[in-house]
Amino acid sequence: MFKLEKSFYSKTSMYSFFTILILFLSMWVSTAQFLHIDMALLGYMIGSAVFAIGLVIRMSFWLFRTATNKIATRSVKNMFAKERLKRNAKSLGITLIDNILLQKFIFKRGLYRGIQHIMISWGCIISFAFTFGLTFGWFRFDLVDPETYQMVAFNIPLISMAANGWIAEIFYNMLNIGAVMVLIGVSMAMYRRFKDYDVKVTQRFEFDLLPLYILLAVTVTGLALTVSYKFLDGWMHPYISLIHQITVIIMLMYFPFGKLFHVPIRPLATAVPMSYQETLMVDTKTCKSCAQPYSNDDQIADVQAILKAQSFDLQLADGTYLSDYCPSCRRRMRALKQMNMEAPQGNPYGPVNTNNGIHISGFGKKRSDEYFGIDEDIKKDLKEEKDHEPISR
Amino acid sequence: MNKIMYLEFERCIGCRACQAACRECGDHDAKERNYVEYVDFTESRQTFPMLCMQCKDPACARVCPANAIQITEEGVVLSAMEEKCIGCRNCTFGCPFGIPKFDFEKNKMYKCDMCYDRTREDIAPMCASVCPSDAIRFIDFDEMQQLRRRRTQMNLVEGKKPQEGNKWDYVPEFFGVYTDSQS
Ligand code: SF4
Ligand code: SF4
Repeated sequence: MFKLEKSFYSKTSMYSFFTILILFLSMWVSTAQFLHIDMALLGYMIGSAVFAIGLVIRMSFWLFRTATNKIATRSVKNMFAKERLKRNAKSLGITLIDNILLQKFIFKRGLYRGIQHIMISWGCIISFAFTFGLTFGWFRFDLVDPETYQMVAFNIPLISMAANGWIAEIFYNMLNIGAVMVLIGVSMAMYRRFKDYDVKVTQRFEFDLLPLYILLAVTVTGLALTVSYKFLDGWMHPYISLIHQITVIIMLMYFPFGKLFHVPIRPLATAVPMSYQETLMVDTKTCKSCAQPYSNDDQIADVQAILKAQSFDLQLADGTYLSDYCPSCRRRMRALKQMNMEAPQGNPYGPVNTNNGIHISGFGKKRSDEYFGIDEDIKKDLKEEKDHEPISR
Repeated sequence: MNKIMYLEFERCIGCRACQAACRECGDHDAKERNYVEYVDFTESRQTFPMLCMQCKDPACARVCPANAIQITEEGVVLSAMEEKCIGCRNCTFGCPFGIPKFDFEKNKMYKCDMCYDRTREDIAPMCASVCPSDAIRFIDFDEMQQLRRRRTQMNLVEGKKPQEGNKWDYVPEFFGVYTDSQS
């Protein structure tokens, strides 16, 4: 593997190369050695290839991030662990159905947003599947006899249907259905973006609005195509088709680099129930200070490893890390440190000593040395500094 | 933005006005993002307010596998981007100060963003604008320096003598987002 890697400019370019290779081979197989290739879709084909490369580059960069890499490696390792098989299947199933198919968590953020998102996402998925399928020739429709169409996927004949039956009708209109869904969703999203003051707080034009405009352009030109040949006798059809092609290619180019990139990274959500919950939905790691459960060992180990790999020094004097404490204890520790109220001796997690040693009860007692002097180690540091005076002085 | 959040924990009287105000802020969805907690309930009723430090190099963003935590050009560390956050809670454990909160229902993280829509325009965040005892303040850099000097003097009056090695223990919390060029 390492050797293979060395023969490429970088890992990313290696992955890109193999992606294109696989795409090419899949085309070769499914179009019967390019016999059935649809040259009218050449523009889309090139656009899709660039899209694939862009996606691979972005995915690789994302997976090389320390944090992403840690959780991804752990999940892959857990995925194939025998004793976790049942649990994994369950997590995968739940995430797939609840989060990706039904998108329940978005509906919990609001019914409006739920409908809006499910429209856009499913509209896009349908359209993408259909477009890619046709451009790469993964499936096609052959006319076997004047009355029957046959669907051929990867060069394997599948179902046949009557040329004007309802199944065929659905297939003809698949892209239109997708487009209408996206159109509804995008209009809802745009209305929300323009009307809702709350979303404007962090909204950015190039990130939040631009993708909506691009999607709008794609769907409107796509639907205009249908309108043109169905109702207007193909009026302006070549021009609209060219404009549509351009908008689609712009979208494909934009996809890996903008907001839409959240789609391919979403499946990482399975990693959460799969790797970060020893018992589903139950915390098992307890806080070092208050002994309340707040997380689980695997996750804290990962967090510490990620922080360490990026040179965050969050270790305390006693060897524990700040992430070994529950968030509430961490906040308290910060406040105590700030107010100079940490328990000076003994059990650092014990009750705080609010007798500060300054306001002393009675004359016979003396203030503790520690409030006038300097700590031993600081004394040593200071002396050392004297010994080695900086050269510049 | 050239202002600084200045916290003096001792001034907190535990009225929780800041939390009520936080809930009202735009985009906060009626959930508070700051904390008012007891220093040690068994010892006294002293409370302290707690907000996000808006770190320059935030640990929360570094541990996020989805790259969902963005930093604005002013330096404000925002809540998770809703479309990216996968709900792993790494950020809540990575943050050295225990700041990010997690909404299990909506499956996303939310945290103090210094009321970005306000501070962006140099208006004090909700918490600072309501705090009756000035435990949370939103002030100029110079004013902060002055307050810190006075604080050091007070420490001397009280008999605490900061030394070279530990003088930083004697200045109150301050943090904020400000452009270096202007300060
Ligand atoms: S909970 Fe969301 S914001 Fe926090 S680390 Fe996980 S993905 Fe990132
Ligand atoms: S949440 Fe924590 S780590 Fe992130 S910016 Fe705030 S204080 Fe820093």
